[in-house]
Amino acid sequence: MLRNVFLALIALIIAFGGGTLSAWYAVSRFDGFGALSIGQWTAHPEAGTPYSDPYAKARAAREGAFPLGSTEGLAFYAYNDDRGEALDRQCSYKVEGNSPNSRFWTLYAADRSLTALSPGMERLPAMHSRQILRKEDGAFIVNVSPKARPGNWLATTGNGRMVLVMTLYDTPVGSNSGLVDMTFPTVTRISCDG
Amino acid sequence: MGKLARALLFGLVGAGLVHIAVVLLVPYYSDRNAWSRISAYGNAWQFHPVAREGAPGTRPLALDPLFQAAACRFDITDLPAHITGVGTTPYWSISIYTRQGENIYSINDRTAIADQLDLVVATPLQMIELNKTKPAAAENSVLIEAEIEEGFVVVRSFVPDDSWKLQVDSFLKSTSCTPLL
Repeated sequence: MLRNVFLALIALIIAFGGGTLSAWYAVSRFDGFGALSIGQWTAHPEAGTPYSDPYAKARAAREGAFPLGSTEGLAFYAYNDDRGEALDRQCSYKVEGNSPNSRFWTLYAADRSLTALSPGMERLPAMHSRQILRKEDGAFIVNVSPKARPGNWLATTGNGRMVLVMTLYDTPVGSNSGLVDMTFPTVTRISCDG
Repeated sequence: MGKLARALLFGLVGAGLVHIAVVLLVPYYSDRNAWSRISAYGNAWQFHPVAREGAPGTRPLALDPLFQAAACRFDITDLPAHITGVGTTPYWSISIYTRQGENIYSINDRTAIADQLDLVVATPLQMIELNKTKPAAAENSVLIEAEIEEGFVVVRSFVPDDSWKLQVDSFLKSTSCTPLL
């Protein structure tokens, strides 16, 4: 008798504990299905639309975000460098290459909750495509570093992980037509001595 | 042993059910969603600047640092909403969201008529009326049919550098969101 009660209790604890914990974990950590990955960059074209999956909806409801619509733009996130290691705010990185079709784009470094880092001291918190220096062939290099760099310098600050956010505005990239040139810049680590 | 295995199996199946129920119920019971964030800014039928920092205990808004935004919530049960704005900025865009924060329509300055921010959000029934007799105020408006009652709009504008700040500010201040009589 007592054994049966004990077994029922175990089942209940697993059901409610496990269910709640896994739901909490999924909602706070999992970005939802339908991610669009190109190289090191990931976007969620369906986030915040009626077509997004229940996990993305639950997450959006807890974050209170209102993501960009399809004609506004699409944000791409890079979490790792070319070697697959997480981006660190103390390290210097090189974002090099070309960008996909868009009217313009912005690039900024953010913490893990995607809030832009503010480097302070009147340093620009973000770069945009109309301001950067380019090479003869139109490609660009943005140096992401806590220390001053020549050329295009995106200043970072603080410790811990960071995410690079490249938002394309007025872009056909998310529309899945297959006609768009999907060239994204690569994020390469230069050094990690601060 | 068999009984223990059965209890564990029941537990796991139950965990799956609880997991699904919690995930599906979160959007209906969350008090930290986009609607509550925008309600905290002030009254309906009025544009308010979007702040990056929210109320204590909520996540800051992930808004592009080179952008400024204004938001207005409305209820089109009785009358359609008329959204206008005057000014030139390097780029602006507007999104219409349902009360649950789902983006149902978006438009940017290039896809708008003559680069002007002028749109009307109406329910399907109101749209029939609008197509019969269009009020003079909404003559050149983009008409958007939305099967919603409450919703909100967010206007975003690009600020390439500080020299654009005044112009973008005056554009966002000029935005208005009123019931279309």
